[in-house]
Amino acid sequence: MVQGVEPMRPETLAQNVRDALRDPVLTGALRRATDTFAQRRQGAVGSIPDWEELRTQAAAIKAHTLARLDHFLEQFVQRAEAAGTVVHWARDAAEACAIVQQLAERCGATRLVKSKSMATEEIHLNAALATSGREPVETDLGEWIIQLAGETPSHIIVPAIHKTKEAIGQLFVDKLGVPASSEPAVLAEHARQRLRAHFAAADLGISGVNFGVAETGSILVLENEGNARMTTTLPRVHVAVMGIEKVIPRARDLDVFLRLLPRSGTGQHLTTYQSLLTGPDPAGQGPRELHVVLLDNGRSRIAADERMRSTLACIRCGACLNACPVYQSIGGHAYGSVYPGPIGAILTPQLQGLPAAGKLPFASSLCGACKDVCPVKIDIPSLLLELRARAVASGNAGSGGRLEKLVWRLWSWCERSPRRHRVAMALARFGARMPFAAKLLPPLRAWASSREVPKPNGKSFRATYRGDGDAR
Amino acid sequence: MSNAREAILGALRQGLRGTAVPPLPPLRERTLPSEQHLATFTSMLTRVGGTVDVVADLAAARARLATLLAEADAQTVACSDAPELRDLLPAAVRTLPHDAPRDALLAADCGLTSAQFGIAETGTLVLCSGDERHRLASLLPARHVCLLPRSRLCGTLAEVLAAVHRDGPPRSRTITFVTGPSRTADIELTLVVGVHGPKFLHVLLLDDAR
Repeated sequence: MVQGVEPMRPETLAQNVRDALRDPVLTGALRRATDTFAQRRQGAVGSIPDWEELRTQAAAIKAHTLARLDHFLEQFVQRAEAAGTVVHWARDAAEACAIVQQLAERCGATRLVKSKSMATEEIHLNAALATSGREPVETDLGEWIIQLAGETPSHIIVPAIHKTKEAIGQLFVDKLGVPASSEPAVLAEHARQRLRAHFAAADLGISGVNFGVAETGSILVLENEGNARMTTTLPRVHVAVMGIEKVIPRARDLDVFLRLLPRSGTGQHLTTYQSLLTGPDPAGQGPRELHVVLLDNGRSRIAADERMRSTLACIRCGACLNACPVYQSIGGHAYGSVYPGPIGAILTPQLQGLPAAGKLPFASSLCGACKDVCPVKIDIPSLLLELRARAVASGNAGSGGRLEKLVWRLWSWCERSPRRHRVAMALARFGARMPFAAKLLPPLRAWASSREVPKPNGKSFRATYRGDGDAR
Repeated sequence: MSNAREAILGALRQGLRGTAVPPLPPLRERTLPSEQHLATFTSMLTRVGGTVDVVADLAAARARLATLLAEADAQTVACSDAPELRDLLPAAVRTLPHDAPRDALLAADCGLTSAQFGIAETGTLVLCSGDERHRLASLLPARHVCLLPRSRLCGTLAEVLAAVHRDGPPRSRTITFVTGPSRTADIELTLVVGVHGPKFLHVLLLDDAR
């Protein structure tokens, strides 16, 4: 039902952005959502006096772990296997999907349930399982709505943020045959009843992982609805898909991350549920088998890239999305990738490669709001600049490349002689005084269509300095 | 796929060779003065929609539970295997054992469990699956009532993480942290309490402090 997101074509970003900006429902919903989350985050952060220390601590834990990722992964696997977890390794999305597919076949699973997970979105697991008629039922309310509608998530934390309650009510009328309602509580109750039948019948549960603890081989899953508890408790077999960067050294490091993540994401002190799972737990009313699929899919390459390594510190809280003026205006779909917003603009080009997503690092004003809110202090603006430089150097920056080079060459020629500089400045001042000029010249038109062309001062700095001015 | 394992670990080893390793920061202790535990636990859990009743002894717990069940018109109660719960339920309700069929547990009006720890700073219940069979009773019924002896109340998450890992491996294969009833804001960010998990959470805080 849910289609995998196509790798983004370079020319689609501009079109996506235009479409998003023309959708009043989307822009209104986005503004409300991002404002609300930013406010809640502010309140929750304010309740902790040592917030900055916590961020520093978390960034240091991640930096240490990522620099020794091979060591901590091996430790995680050894302890997980000792506890009875079956660990699988997947180099890429296809391998990861094949592992889950074979697992489902081996245990004869036909009814699959899934709780929200970015890693499984990244590998398009649902589409892969659907080819053998085993598409899992999404059980997070937002994800389930998206699945019923045949759409893709637009926000990391609130996947259906782009849909109004009226649209969801109509969707339920069409797909479930329930009476019309636009009352969120009524709609949530429909979901509760429908999904309970799926939980009761499921034979394989699929989840993501928020943190993998190296010293114990445990995985931690965070949520609010209870669907992840259902998914990791009721089916006979539980398989968790975990990016290799999710590992942290010590169980007690969870204290730091659990104080940062919910506050940054939803503004909660703690999400309603955390499940800390160490091996299968049939004696404790849990599944008979626990499988963890360790997913690389480009991560080992990022880890080896010292300049970009901190990209992998991300704990997927969504704070940078809510803080980003670009995301606030265009939403998640326009990015054309599973990971939207500032984090997506640095992660996607590294996962998919610059030829596929080299334009994304340019979809930012570099205002730095993302860096200010990031709970693990990822310097997103610097990483964006680095990726921009690489995109330009490799010819993946988009169509502006050749013209831009020509303009800069011209500029540098003008600046190498005082006379040429004077002539060029006079021409520029003259040109900029024609308000229509920027709107007409094709290379400037795109830029000027959504911005105000700055008006130059009447007199140049040099003229003022020479004393033509009467400042004194 | 052992060659995948070797490929990934090999790529990491090679890519990280010679890289500078910044130090791992030491763990930090965090505590909350014990005289604040009860008030903080109550206010934090109440904030997220749970209720807390302090009961002086098991007889008081039994009376309060009877009232809660009557008010909710609860007919069937799924009960975990914690021994202290055995005599808590009123005779009038139908009791389901912890290993009752799932359909019955899913349809139960209420689940009754205890908890192995409480965390004051967040109003959290900590359920350790090795100590008690309460994974289903705390999740499937519409309402969850939890008996928490005051002696199990800790100040912070840091203290509980230290306590459950005292011997190295975690105390139980499944440790569930519960902070309030199930909730969602997935539809237009409107808070709805009670989506997949329990819609109500009541804590009976048993004052067993000497």
